[in-house]
Amino acid sequence: MKIIVLIKQILDPAGILVRRDKEKMFINREEYILGPDSKAALEATLRLKDAGGAEVIALSMGRPRAEDALREALALGGDAAYLLSDEAFDAADIPVTANVLAAAVQKLGGADLVVAGRESGDTSAGQIGSRVAEALNYAQVTDVHVLTGEPGAIRATRRWGGGYATVQAMLPAVVTVAREAFPARYAHGARIMNAYREWQVTTWNAADLGLDEAALKPLLAFRGESFPPPLPVGEQVKGAPASAAHELITALKLQKVIG
Amino acid sequence: MDFSFPKEHQLFRRMVREFAENEVKPLAKAVDREHRVPLETVKKAAALGLMGVPFPQKYGGMGGGEMGYCIMMEELGRICTSTATVIGAHTGIAAMSIYLDGTEEQKQKFLTPLASGRLIGAFGLTEAQAGSDAAAIKTTAVRDGNHFVLNGAKVFITNGDIAGIMTVMAVTDPSLGAYGGITAFVVETDTPGFSIGSLENKMGIRGSSTAECVFQDVRVPKENVLGQFGAGFLTFMKSLDIGRASLGAACLGGAQAAMEGCMEWTMAREQFGVPVATKQSVYFMIADMAAEIEALRSLIYRTAWLIDTHQPHIKEAAICKLYGSEVASRCIHKAVQIHGALGYSRDYWVERAYRDARISEIFEGTNEIQRIVLASNLFRPYGLRIPS
Repeated sequence: MKIIVLIKQILDPAGILVRRDKEKMFINREEYILGPDSKAALEATLRLKDAGGAEVIALSMGRPRAEDALREALALGGDAAYLLSDEAFDAADIPVTANVLAAAVQKLGGADLVVAGRESGDTSAGQIGSRVAEALNYAQVTDVHVLTGEPGAIRATRRWGGGYATVQAMLPAVVTVAREAFPARYAHGARIMNAYREWQVTTWNAADLGLDEAALKPLLAFRGESFPPPLPVGEQVKGAPASAAHELITALKLQKVIG
Repeated sequence: MDFSFPKEHQLFRRMVREFAENEVKPLAKAVDREHRVPLETVKKAAALGLMGVPFPQKYGGMGGGEMGYCIMMEELGRICTSTATVIGAHTGIAAMSIYLDGTEEQKQKFLTPLASGRLIGAFGLTEAQAGSDAAAIKTTAVRDGNHFVLNGAKVFITNGDIAGIMTVMAVTDPSLGAYGGITAFVVETDTPGFSIGSLENKMGIRGSSTAECVFQDVRVPKENVLGQFGAGFLTFMKSLDIGRASLGAACLGGAQAAMEGCMEWTMAREQFGVPVATKQSVYFMIADMAAEIEALRSLIYRTAWLIDTHQPHIKEAAICKLYGSEVASRCIHKAVQIHGALGYSRDYWVERAYRDARISEIFEGTNEIQRIVLASNLFRPYGLRIPS
């Protein structure tokens, strides 16, 4: 199976201090990491590779520094890595990003399966997987918690209303995975060394992908940013631990949060 | 001068930090209480290449060099000194002695299983009458055909009871003394005649084992002579020289953890209506910690760079161990003070850190020995010999 994993490098949220009183975010430590959702996408893919063998190609659109995220993907177990980077991508919005990624998938000769995170760890739009699937005319399954391969298909368990549904999708398909369902493995130390010393990341620009100005024109305009209103404080359960736990579970059951 | 870490080492640090936080930390308190080696952690570490960080990949190592190794030791030292000790004694002195002076064949046969973590290593130097005076060992090795027959006992051997391979220093010619009369051997611990005596009941690093190792007519093939015949003392001293840098790195991690813990606590703990971090008597202590930690960090990684670029490093490595262990002890001493009664409670990490820190001023050459090493290196160019 040929699997392309879409990954994104994000600013490490642990280095950001949010001051709601000043409506400002301060960057204490500017460090870029492979986003946790991308790590989950890689993990879901590597489990398929472990189970039945697969060629795993990591793909990312980003600034040149995003090469580090791709090298981390190689260290974790990826077989090849491609960076889509061009100053012309700087203004890309979500639809443009999806088009660029889809063009790269096509240039790679398509895939049996494309895997992405349910959303990214920074902008959290949650649209890339679906948009890429539409652009490629692949089947799509989103918010996947369990993923297994079958001949010519994948079987996926996804969130469905208050519970889960297991579906089958014929290949080629796009799946987006839930971060919490695929805790990432650790990269082997030797693969970390080799990811920088031995292995390559291929970089493609807009021209390589055959994308012209029209294809890169964003639909969205940035008008500024503001803080969301503070979340209301929820109901507090007080009392002795045992009785409080009982009360909490009853309340959660009544609201169908837990079964 | 470029003081930045190579990118592969930056990523490696993130991996080890996650490993330490997620796999090592949950066991740290229990292994200290239960006085047991976290072998399950060793197994997980081996699967990630962490049992052979400094060694080349062709010997089953990770290829991270001394810099990578110091990074791992710092991160492990930040979370659990016991785990750092188990992996450190295995890598930094036991496997290191084979890497430094082993033949190609010995490296294939003994370093590869150690570096890949299939076997654990131990370093057999100390004896009851030979601690700081390492050349005073009494264990003997007598030639018998194609074998040497070892007799004697080693004490305070880290990993002694869990090791598959031990490098051992023994007297081969009592008339020749340290230089010429002592030979190093690689001993497979399943060799008949090798046994474990008592296990130490220690103040700290209780998640590591410290064993008495007894050699009773242990027959070792002559192919297992490590380094030049008669030059075993040098092989062992060279291994210790390098090991001191990474030992200092583990101390750096311990000091860093003490400071981080104090910052977290003093921002949360309120007295007189304000966080105690705003009290000068407290933040001065934390500022002093930060200054020493930063100086130590520069020292450790510069020394790692000296080792990786094959430059003289004996003096610097001795300073890493000497200064590192004392910085760690000072920081943790302050951490107990800052945490007050909580810092004295067995239920809290500070008390364990305080007990764990003390050994670093003692093992792998006491700090007094480090001062001798240092002074010898300072005065030697002037023709003045410092007696041990």
